[in-house]
Amino acid sequence: MKSDRTHESPTSSDWQRWLAEHAPKFLLFARQQARSEADAQDLVQEAVLESWQRQSDAAPPPLGLVFATIRRRAIDLARSENRRARRESAASDPPEVCWFDSGIEDRERSQLIQAAVQNLPDIYRDVISLKVWGELTFAEIAEALDIPANTAASRYRYALAELRKRTKEVLA
Amino acid sequence: MIIHEHERFEAELRRLRPAKPPEDLMARLAAAKPFVHSPGSNTTAKSCRTKRRELFLRWFLPAAATAAAAVLLALWRLDAPLPNTPQKRPNAASIPALIADDIEIGRRLIATFDTVASLPSGEPVRLRCREWLDEVVLRDKTSGVVIEQRTPRFDIVPVSFETY
Repeated sequence: MKSDRTHESPTSSDWQRWLAEHAPKFLLFARQQARSEADAQDLVQEAVLESWQRQSDAAPPPLGLVFATIRRRAIDLARSENRRARRESAASDPPEVCWFDSGIEDRERSQLIQAAVQNLPDIYRDVISLKVWGELTFAEIAEALDIPANTAASRYRYALAELRKRTKEVLA
Repeated sequence: MIIHEHERFEAELRRLRPAKPPEDLMARLAAAKPFVHSPGSNTTAKSCRTKRRELFLRWFLPAAATAAAAVLLALWRLDAPLPNTPQKRPNAASIPALIADDIEIGRRLIATFDTVASLPSGEPVRLRCREWLDEVVLRDKTSGVVIEQRTPRFDIVPVSFETY
């Protein structure tokens, strides 16, 4: 008998597949936004659920919406009253969380890129992360960050040039 | 050349894949599936109720309001005479003619008062006001029909107002 599953009820396999495909991107972006690994993971969970529940047809939410929610929640978190406590807990977290999957031979390269991305100004880091690893278009980035698409494109070009300059020795 | 190098660098960056989230986070996310499929479960039932309520609010209420307005309009049109429909007049021949064999015409004084006003030239003028009720009574003694008509009437008479 055919299942009476409605459109608003993704099956477990749908949900697992969607998570497996996109959760790494969300976590990478959240790690760039949050002060600690614990906060980053909480941000991902809360943003994914909030974005999905805000969909009227309960289809998987647009990726841009999830990224935007992560960013908004990260800003809220940073402004919250227990900011100091979170900073202290961040200090106690293990410092080395690798953002990328890399083998032994690529570890140095990925660590260098991670450091370079970390040191970019926020506005450039957000754009390059969403474009390269979030796989969003400039229009989607513009919507997620609430900036014009042209601004997103110019920030991306600047960020790319800056990253290239900072990692030239390794990637040359 | 620069564009080509940028593209190559971009490709290098894309080769790095975001790290897989820790197992415990994936487990938390998997467990927190927002719409759990379970026919007849609370979530599904609630969702159905919500949809039904939305449907009700979206379609039934406006439809009911429109239908009520249509019924009221139809009732009003039934009560009002149609403009082009000739009124049914009773056959004059079938009604016996009234004979007004007793007619009374009178008037009653209801109130009287004077007031003072000013003309545009500034000269004072006294207005004598009378309120009358004109009465006309027609009687057909044969059939016993009595028709009475009373009409209120005001008389306002300006009179001189002498000042000393």
